Amino acid sequence: MAGKSRAAKFVFLLPALLWVLGFVLYPLINSFSLSFFRYTLGRGREAFIGVQNYIDIFNSPEFWFTLKITIYYVLITVTAETLLGLFLAWMVNKRIQFQNFFRTVYTLPIFTTTVAVGYLGVTIFHETGGLANWVMGWFGLDIQWLSSATGAFASSVILDIWRWTPFAFIILLAGLQGVSKSRYEAAMLDTNSSFQIFRYVELPAIRFSLLLVVMLRMVRAFKVFGLPFSLTGGGPGRSTVFYTLYVYRTSMKYFDFGHGAAMAYVLLIIVMIVIFQLFRLLRESFAAE
Amino acid sequence: MKFSSKLSFSAIVLALSLVLVLPFGAIGQEGCKGTPDDPYISMERQEFLEDEPYKGKTINILAPKTTVSKPLYDFAKQWRNETGGKVNITEVPLATFHQKIFTDLITGMGQYDGFLTAAWYYGDFFEGKRYIEPIQKYMDDPKMPYWCPETVNPAIEQLLKWGGEWYGLPNDNDGQAFYYRKDILQKEEYKERFEEEYGYTYSLPPRNHQEIIDIAQFFNDWDWDEDGKKDYGFTGHFKVGGQGMFHYMTWAAPYVISPENRYFWFNPDTMDPLVNSEGHLKALEDLKKLVNAGPKAMMAWTLGEAWDLFLKGDAVVAFTWGDLGALAQDEETSQVKGKLGVSVLPGVEEAYDPIENKWVSFEEPNVVGNNIGGSWHGVISIYSDNPQMTYDYFAYMSRIDNAFWNQMRGWTGVDVGRSFAFLEEHGGSASVEDFTEQNWSENGAIEMSKGYHENFYADQQFNLLRIPGAEEYARAVDVIISQVLSGDTDPAGALDKLADRFNNITARHGKESQMKYYKQMLGE
Repeated sequence: MAGKSRAAKFVFLLPALLWVLGFVLYPLINSFSLSFFRYTLGRGREAFIGVQNYIDIFNSPEFWFTLKITIYYVLITVTAETLLGLFLAWMVNKRIQFQNFFRTVYTLPIFTTTVAVGYLGVTIFHETGGLANWVMGWFGLDIQWLSSATGAFASSVILDIWRWTPFAFIILLAGLQGVSKSRYEAAMLDTNSSFQIFRYVELPAIRFSLLLVVMLRMVRAFKVFGLPFSLTGGGPGRSTVFYTLYVYRTSMKYFDFGHGAAMAYVLLIIVMIVIFQLFRLLRESFAAE
Repeated sequence: MKFSSKLSFSAIVLALSLVLVLPFGAIGQEGCKGTPDDPYISMERQEFLEDEPYKGKTINILAPKTTVSKPLYDFAKQWRNETGGKVNITEVPLATFHQKIFTDLITGMGQYDGFLTAAWYYGDFFEGKRYIEPIQKYMDDPKMPYWCPETVNPAIEQLLKWGGEWYGLPNDNDGQAFYYRKDILQKEEYKERFEEEYGYTYSLPPRNHQEIIDIAQFFNDWDWDEDGKKDYGFTGHFKVGGQGMFHYMTWAAPYVISPENRYFWFNPDTMDPLVNSEGHLKALEDLKKLVNAGPKAMMAWTLGEAWDLFLKGDAVVAFTWGDLGALAQDEETSQVKGKLGVSVLPGVEEAYDPIENKWVSFEEPNVVGNNIGGSWHGVISIYSDNPQMTYDYFAYMSRIDNAFWNQMRGWTGVDVGRSFAFLEEHGGSASVEDFTEQNWSENGAIEMSKGYHENFYADQQFNLLRIPGAEEYARAVDVIISQVLSGDTDPAGALDKLADRFNNITARHGKESQMKYYKQMLGE
């Protein structure tokens, strides 16, 4: 009977197992092996070249440039989204008037599609007829949003922040609403300062939510693709060719799958290192408690 | 006369006409049968159509999501009425168009019977194996629509062939010509003010590239048409992925190509890139001066926005494709109808020979015509189950009447360039009335015919890069040009980087094989 039950468990697990093997592990292993070959679509695996693809990548100034701007992008957007999301969540959590209205409005951008946001950005940041420069015109400013390297980078960052702050907002609001009343009541005995309560009661209570936001946003931000693709096409010059766009062009546009696979694995390793460090922080913080 | 008598009389007149005219091989078009008003349809074709030969069959066509694919729909309907065949058209954004075609071909999926391809993809169609069908056998078949190869200008004909054999059916005729506001530049007051500032009087059309720069700078940033708005000198488009690199190619051609040297891209004996030569550098520096005499926003513009500025009457010069001339004729969107000047890019007096590493001087400007751009046209996939039907559809669009209709309308994206769209004085068969009947101005007809004839029939022609990986080389040029023009990097360093990038791409495709394709492309 016990044997039958064990067999039944395996049968039920089989679809999930097959899915993981077929659609997660196999592509991972196959693409990893591709990264050691000269592989161009149509020509197949031409030759085993060891780590040559990785050496080529590390010798390429394009690689270092795209990696650098991607890291800047991740740091700026994730920091801004987390702080802004935290601020909005804190405000809404204070039981302000029209709380439900604000909660709904703040979450709206997250339901848009990335490419649509990119094309929306083209109209907003259009330098001669766009909303951004129309507003800037009131202050006598005329900003080169999409025609300068800095402006294009800034436009991408602004749109990303607009789109993803609601994600941080939702998770952090849930975290804040999970703080028990008794903690607030205990804190109120010592202080009336909202900041003190935030600093010593709410912030420690939501640190796991904060870390979750940072982690998930970092992973996504490292993979930023649709926004620069539709907003700037990577330009002007290469100023918004973020890492994934670079990998996409190498693999899908020029069909150089060998180099593309190697690039993808380099990104995977970078992101894994970052995530492991964040998990370590989290573990240490729980252990300290 | 009774009806039967009338019929007999008409038949005799028709027979006599055919006997008299056909031996000379022309009805209004040298070497060709038919005119835009009266296309030639063979007896064999008429019989073939009687049974709706493609009834129940469908072909799938892949096209870029740009203006040039719009006429595909209209002609698909008309063609279906004639032949019974159905056409499914799939449009994909230009940025992903190349990869869609070659994913379909390289993997052998064969989802599409034909492609509305760009001319610079040809090298990829022949890398490793041939992916598109030669079309001579269909051209020789009297059952197929007749489009008269003799009407195709030599610069475009070269793009539709590979190794001397026809693969593409003529449709678009891309080449960049120089456009200027004749009405504004002819104003005596402006001429005098210009002379005071620059110490010479400009010519119309400008004599050389330096004059274009001076004119653009003089007319930049003030209201020269007195409409209460600031106007600009030059308009162009340089958004990465928006075909801005073609501006550079057009502009740079006469700085490098000359009677002393015909190579722009590579040394054909070594496959070393030439793109960082002194000639290329001077061209890029001069282009930067020109671009600075226009709105900064150009760096983020695609072609529609650049054309729009000129059509609104807010830019004095531009160099671009024939679309602009045709769009200028539409009074709903254009304020420059009847005010155009069009010519081949005027050239420069000094060109650099990058093979011999020396500057060469000329008394008259060194002029180079070009066939730069996609010249978007139909080709047939080797995986098509219905290659004849696919040819039939594309050939129907290429037929003289349909092609003329397309070329007269800016929104079609199909540009002028076949002999029936050139005036007789420019070696074609059209009259000014043929244009004005299509709502063109007389000025537009004369200027476009003159300008594009000068361009396509110039003694020297630019060689559009068509070797395998041309898309990738072009993309590299695109990014570098954008970087330089947006002030992100210096021209010399950028062109050196471009040469490195070219070397990497060449190495990946194989230097020896690229050299072979390059020579083949040059007809050597």
